[in-house]
Amino acid sequence: MPSALAPLPDDIPLTRITCTINGEQVVADAPVDCTLLTFLRDIVGLTGTKGACLEGECGSCTVLIDGKPVTSCLMLAGQVNGRTITTVEGLADGDALDVIQEKFVETGAAQCGYCTPGLIMSARALLNDNPSISESELLTALEGNICRCTGYASIVEAVRRAHRELKS
Amino acid sequence: MFHQPVDIETALRLRGERPDATVVNGCTDVSVARNHGMLHPREVIDLSRIASLKTIEHDGDNLLIGAGATFAQLGKCHLKALREAALSVAGPAIRNQGTIGGNLVTASPAGDGCVALLAMGGDVELASAARGSRWVDVRAFFLGYRKTELAGDELVTRVRVPYNPVTRWYKIGKRGAVNISLVCAAVARRTDGSFGLAYGCVGPIPLFAPKAERVLARGPLTDALIAEAADVVESEVAPIDDHRGSADYRRAMCRTLTTRLLADIAKNGDQGDADAFSAGAAA
Amino acid sequence: MTPQSTKTDAPRTPEVTIPPADHLVGKNCKRVDGREKVTGLAMYGADLFPQAADLFAKVVRSEEAHADIVKIDTSAALAVGGVLGVYTHADVGGTNIHGLIRRDHPALAEKRVRYRGDAIAVVVAESERSAEAARDRVHVEYSPLPVVATMEEALSDGAPRLYPEGNIMGDKRIRRGDVDAALAAAHCVVTDTFHTQTVDHAFLDVEAGTGIWDGHTLTLNAPGQWVHEERRLIALALGIPVEQVRIIQPVTGGAFGGREDISIQIYLGLAALKHPGKTIGLRYDRAESMRARHKRHALKIEYTLAADREGTLTAARITVHSDEGAYASTGIAVMRKAASHATGPYRVPAIEVDVYGVHTNNNPTGAMRGFGACQMAIAYEGMMDRLADALEMDRVALRKRNMIVPGDPVTTGQRIDNASVHECLDAALAKFNERPYPGNDGLPPHLRRGWGMSAICFGLGYGDGFPDCSRARVEINPDGGATVYTGGVEVGQGLLNTMMQIAGEELGLPFEKMHVVAADTELTDESGSSSATRQTYFTGNAVRIAASELREQILDVAGKWLNVHPHEVTLQQGWAFETANDANRVSMARLYDEGLARGYSFKATGLFKPRTVPEVHGTGQSPRAFITYLFGAHVSQVLVDIETGEVKVERHIAAHDVGKAINPQSVEGQIVGGVAQGLGMALMEEVVYKKGRILNAGFTDYIIPTIKDLPPVEAIIIEHDDPGGPFGAHGVGEPPLIGAVPAILSAIYDATGVAPDTLPVTPERMWRLLRMRDGVPVPV
Repeated sequence: MPSALAPLPDDIPLTRITCTINGEQVVADAPVDCTLLTFLRDIVGLTGTKGACLEGECGSCTVLIDGKPVTSCLMLAGQVNGRTITTVEGLADGDALDVIQEKFVETGAAQCGYCTPGLIMSARALLNDNPSISESELLTALEGNICRCTGYASIVEAVRRAHRELKS
Repeated sequence: MFHQPVDIETALRLRGERPDATVVNGCTDVSVARNHGMLHPREVIDLSRIASLKTIEHDGDNLLIGAGATFAQLGKCHLKALREAALSVAGPAIRNQGTIGGNLVTASPAGDGCVALLAMGGDVELASAARGSRWVDVRAFFLGYRKTELAGDELVTRVRVPYNPVTRWYKIGKRGAVNISLVCAAVARRTDGSFGLAYGCVGPIPLFAPKAERVLARGPLTDALIAEAADVVESEVAPIDDHRGSADYRRAMCRTLTTRLLADIAKNGDQGDADAFSAGAAA
Repeated sequence: MTPQSTKTDAPRTPEVTIPPADHLVGKNCKRVDGREKVTGLAMYGADLFPQAADLFAKVVRSEEAHADIVKIDTSAALAVGGVLGVYTHADVGGTNIHGLIRRDHPALAEKRVRYRGDAIAVVVAESERSAEAARDRVHVEYSPLPVVATMEEALSDGAPRLYPEGNIMGDKRIRRGDVDAALAAAHCVVTDTFHTQTVDHAFLDVEAGTGIWDGHTLTLNAPGQWVHEERRLIALALGIPVEQVRIIQPVTGGAFGGREDISIQIYLGLAALKHPGKTIGLRYDRAESMRARHKRHALKIEYTLAADREGTLTAARITVHSDEGAYASTGIAVMRKAASHATGPYRVPAIEVDVYGVHTNNNPTGAMRGFGACQMAIAYEGMMDRLADALEMDRVALRKRNMIVPGDPVTTGQRIDNASVHECLDAALAKFNERPYPGNDGLPPHLRRGWGMSAICFGLGYGDGFPDCSRARVEINPDGGATVYTGGVEVGQGLLNTMMQIAGEELGLPFEKMHVVAADTELTDESGSSSATRQTYFTGNAVRIAASELREQILDVAGKWLNVHPHEVTLQQGWAFETANDANRVSMARLYDEGLARGYSFKATGLFKPRTVPEVHGTGQSPRAFITYLFGAHVSQVLVDIETGEVKVERHIAAHDVGKAINPQSVEGQIVGGVAQGLGMALMEEVVYKKGRILNAGFTDYIIPTIKDLPPVEAIIIEHDDPGGPFGAHGVGEPPLIGAVPAILSAIYDATGVAPDTLPVTPERMWRLLRMRDGVPVPV
């Protein structure tokens, strides 16, 4: 049993959250202790963002806030009031995949695929910021994202290819 | 109730009025506790909208770091130990969230930022609506396991560290990135020639080593003096056995890292690189 | 599409050029599930919640590692708002027991808990928060029993008996030749003891799913590795007919053996049966996932290896103790796989192996990638390095002198026709030597570099006479494409593409025309488990058999349509044409209509059920212990900080004979991914118990390799057609992990002169080894 009992259902007050998610304004109530991850998945219904460790160790829940990657399991939903959030669902333009998504498919970088949304968001932030990136910058940008299947080679290759394509 | 003050005065007033509210900024530590079922905030004071807490500025002698400066910001700092400590924290996403103020208040013995600050020396600014602000020596800030000098109605607002020390940092973890330290160490040679030595995960709080520092104060920084200081460090730290590592190993590593980091300062001054594998990286 | 039963309106003249032949076998067809995975639209178990769940379940777990249950008080839990029910063993209608191979694990504990994760009750509530609150308020009164925390404790005199028959769960023996005589006559005998650790699968997608009982069918959307077996186990435990259970595998985020045992399924089923018409959602968090789930067996391996003056192996005597934890799970099979791989790909004339399974109050141990064979590879490869040192022989030469060649027997006595281990090792070494080895010159004094190698073998499938078969169905669609139906589960390894490509190759269809339906017990036939590196071989064969039948049907119809002999028909890119005159052609879509009109079904099933021969009890010998063997070899290069004990893998080369790579990209993904897990096992991963309590039930302290830990792994795919495999393929799932661990350890030995015997080689363990080498006393 956790040393603190889980709170009774009505124990946590709600807070109203207004933010922009993938270009759309969202207004919703969430418990004060609700994490951004739970807000996105269970309240907004965007389940592309994954939770896996809930300790900030795996990066599966990475989303962008105002263009920067954050760990959505380690912040409260209330903190994103007024912010602009991008999740993996917000990258493709209709049927046209984002170049990073396209390269992940091309190199087979999504095996089980559970780490994939988080990795793609980390890569997106890297490529947003940097017209030229070194190999070590690439690895550092992705160091917070655990993949249990691929051994990372196909992921690195996908991001390299996406970077090359964006540069040209 | 989710308070998001945009200025420090409002934040301090709320802090005074709402003693049961949970204060967050990057919220990384609080969220872990929440996700583990240890904490369920019913009222939150979120400091992340206070722009003045995020600034890093200097006056020539000192660097003034807002308590809300993130590890990502500190990862661009000119002070090597602080920069490398910041970049050793988790991955880039968490470094965009976690702050130096949060690191201090959490007061984990593994707090990487705390260890770097302890080595450089400096002060922490604590403020309350009722009593104004006060500066506390960072070395007097940690009182015991996860206990600090911060009073219930106070917030950490700034950290002040000397601008020009020569510093080194090393963290031993079990893998190549995103490590909680097994042991970490920071050393600093300040402009007055004095040394600061600090260690993580070798006691209930981030530790510094005043006796060994006094040995080094005798100067000059010869191999013999370094060896003597490293000996003293071993007796000054107080590690325990836990599931991450043993006290023996941690104590021995304090000696090893002290020796290695000081030797690098002696040899390379401001220019060195203490990363273990960088010398072999050419292969 | 309008059915067309005559060929009068079929143009004989080509309006388009038939694209050139495009063989799907050997092609990197993009993963069929790639797009949904990169867009976040793939629905994993936990993703079904927000839309589907009406009610939410949570599981109450034991806080004791070993105790009798005195009383379960649910009153406080039932008083929580929104709680609809709290269910215990008394509410379970069937046997309340599960377990692969040996069923001994109560779904909900009745009288006794045997590990600190045993389930005791299931709470159902209107919200997940209510369910969590209620879970924490179920009060279980225990009468604690002594905890057996380690194998040593379990085997000690006067140890508490965990089961009436004692603490030894079972044993497995290999006997061949006269080991005593061979040891007495040996020129050189080396002995060492290895300790491998408890490992967690750490797949990212924690157990989650939904279930609903509609009064007739219990439908579970829950990830497993063998939906048809799970269906049987759930039906037995819950006491409902197996036909009334339907399992649908959601998209699944990794498995690695960790989904072979039952997890959420029975709890979901129980909750659903109690709340008809409501969709129940149940998800674990990481801590619960780690506390509840079985683990990789920790092994203690005492190994004696003997050789003559020239380095020819003469005898091996091996005693293995295996921590089975609280319940049997697949332990018996893991013990057997350990025994049958005890001497790896080497000729050893006299062999004695004794494997003992030992119960403790740790988590049950069961399937994980490598399944007993991976632990033994650490030992036999470690022993080859030690023996080479003792003989002052080159490590490569010693291995090559003793590695099997076609026709030689392995541990089970089975003679191996496709023994390609020499070629694997040669290929890995050649790759290694393509770049100059930098050695130790110019390194600072605290760094040492070394390189090492491994050569391994792996028996594919369940083997040992255990029933092992796959069924598949393939159907031609009205558009001339085809759909493959398989019970096999996709857990990330690429099974879907493999099956689509095999069928498409057989049918001459482009990949875009291929479809797949997998792992739904209502829609698909049983294809066995996605484990034992068996799906490509077993289900791949079943798919090929079904597709071959369809091919014959198509050729028949096409021959009639084209007025040629069926042997003169080529199937290519969705067209059938006269081989000598491709203007005489017809599209598959038209053929479909024509075939139906002529009474062809255009549906076919395939059954692949090869026999293996049970190992003789007592000697473990069998002429066909496994259906086929796989071979691989790795070379690893490491840098060791001899002051801190940190180890960095600088290069890693992995060569595997995969028979035929159906999809080379998937094969490479399996190889590189296997190396990553092997690196984790070699250097960092370890479940730490204290009196049955896991101290690191989370990713903060259960450490997995990051992108910074992996060098660019150099994968070498060697292809020697396996005559029994589909298009010559056999499989590649487990061997890369098995090969990686000993190669890294071998490199550490080379770098430092000390041979690691305890895993993982954390910085601290490395440091201790070096201190001991240097004669510095270190308290353990």
